[in-house]
Amino acid sequence: MPSNDSVQTLYSDHHGWLHAWLRSKLGNAADAADLAQDTFVRLLQRREHLQLNTPRAFLRTVARGLVIDHWRREELHRAYLEALAQVPEAQAPSAETRELLLELLERIARMLDGLKPKVRRAFLLAQCEGLKHQAIADQMGISVRTVERYIADALYHCYLLRYADEC
Amino acid sequence: MTTAQPGATAVKQAIQWMLRLRENGHDPALQHQCRQWRSARQEHEQAWQRVMHLHQDLDLRAIPGAGLALQTLETSQRRLQRRQALKLLGGVAMVGTATWLGKDLDAVNAWASDYATGTGERRSVALPDGSLMQLNTRSAVDLAFNDQQRLVRLKQGELMITCSPQHPLLVQTRDALLEGFEGRFVARQDSDCTQVSVSHGRVAIHRPGNGQLQWIESGQNWRLDAQGPHRLEQVDMDAMAWTDGLIVTRNMRLFDFLAQVSRYRHGYLGCSEDIADVRLSGVFRLEDPEKLLQLLPRTLPVRLRQRTRWWVRVEGLV
Repeated sequence: MPSNDSVQTLYSDHHGWLHAWLRSKLGNAADAADLAQDTFVRLLQRREHLQLNTPRAFLRTVARGLVIDHWRREELHRAYLEALAQVPEAQAPSAETRELLLELLERIARMLDGLKPKVRRAFLLAQCEGLKHQAIADQMGISVRTVERYIADALYHCYLLRYADEC
Repeated sequence: MTTAQPGATAVKQAIQWMLRLRENGHDPALQHQCRQWRSARQEHEQAWQRVMHLHQDLDLRAIPGAGLALQTLETSQRRLQRRQALKLLGGVAMVGTATWLGKDLDAVNAWASDYATGTGERRSVALPDGSLMQLNTRSAVDLAFNDQQRLVRLKQGELMITCSPQHPLLVQTRDALLEGFEGRFVARQDSDCTQVSVSHGRVAIHRPGNGQLQWIESGQNWRLDAQGPHRLEQVDMDAMAWTDGLIVTRNMRLFDFLAQVSRYRHGYLGCSEDIADVRLSGVFRLEDPEKLLQLLPRTLPVRLRQRTRWWVRVEGLV
C-alpha cells in the first residue's frame, strides 16, 4: 500500500499537470477533472509501492488506462444508441435492460481487449448470436477447426483475466 | 484462496469440453464422457466449474435486446481503436495509423485536418468549449480555438453542432460564416452551396463584405450560395437524420436520393434519365448502403444494374 503521504505529494505536485494532460486528450474539462480524481483514487488502492522516479510517466500510464475506459464506455453507449435507432420502438428493450446490457457489454469489451480481431469476431458470433461453429466458419471464410481454436483461445484469455486475482 | 488453482491444461480441457457440449448438447455419449473427465480429478471439476461460471458471465443470448450486442461491440471497438490511435499514440505510430485509415479517406485534404471522416463514417467530437460536434461521412474540419474565438472551419462535408449554452460558436464554410447560439444546427457543404438547418436555438449568418446579420430560426432550412442566403420553404430530406444513421426523405427525386446515398459508399451510383424524377418517401438505414439499394426494386418500378461492386446504376423496368 502506498502511504497516503506519497500520494498526497504526488497529488499536490502533479494534479494540475495531469488535469491539463487529460483535458487535451478528452477535450472536456469536467471529464478531465473526474478522471484526474479517479487516477489518484486508483493509486491509493494499489497494493504495491509507488514507483516515484518518474512520477509523470507513471501518472500518465494510469490515466491513459482510465481515458481508454472512458472512451470505451462512450463509444459503447453511442454505438448502442445507433443500433437501437434501427429497432422498431415497440421492440426496444426497457431502460433497465439497456443499462444492464451496457454494463455487461462494457465488461465483455474490456475482457476482449487485446484479442486479435478475427478471434474476437468468432467469439462474439458464438456468444452474441449463438451461431454454431460451422456457421461462423462459413461467415468468416475460415475452417471449423480454426473457429474452434479461436473461440477456445478467447475463452482462455477471458479465463485468465477473470481469475487473475486469485492466481 | 486456500485450494490450489487448476492448472492451464485442466482449464483448456474444460473449455474444450464446454464447447463440444455446446455444439452437440444432446449427445448422451458425449455428456457421459464429460462427466467421467470431470470426476477423474478434483482439479478437472474445479476447472469445469470456473469455466461454466465464466461462460455464463459472457453469455449475451440470455438478455433481452442482446441482438444489438454484436453490432454495438464491433462498432465501438473500431472507433475506440481509431480514437486511441489518433489521440494517445506518438508521432511515429501516427504514420502507421494514417496509412491504415487512408484507404477509406476520401480527400488528401482530410489529412491536413484536425478531424476527418472517411466514406460511410460518422464521428462525435467533444469540443474544448463543451459543445459537441458530429461529423458525417467524408467530412473534414479544422479547429481554431483560442481566447478570442471558437471557430470550426468546415473544409468538406457535413457537421452538426450542439452548442454549449455559455458560448456562441463560429462555423466557417466556403459560402458563409455562421454563428450558432444555444441550440443545434447542421451545415452541409455541397459542390455549389452550403445548406444550414437549425433544429433549435438560432444561427446568425455573417456574410463577407456585408455587416448585416441574417438570422436562421429554429425549424428553418437555408441555402447559402453565390446569390446569397435564401430560405427553403420545403425540404425533401430530414437534415438531422444522419446523426441517427438514417436518411429520411419526403417526396424526394430518385436522382437526388441516389446522390445522397453515394456520399456514404464508394464507387459510381446513378440512375437512368427516365426514372430520375420518380419520387421517394421513406426511412432508410445508412449502415449498409448496398442493402439499402437492394430495397429500391421492392418499392419502386426500378431494377439495379450492377457491373461491379463499385458501379451501380438504377434503371426503369421497361
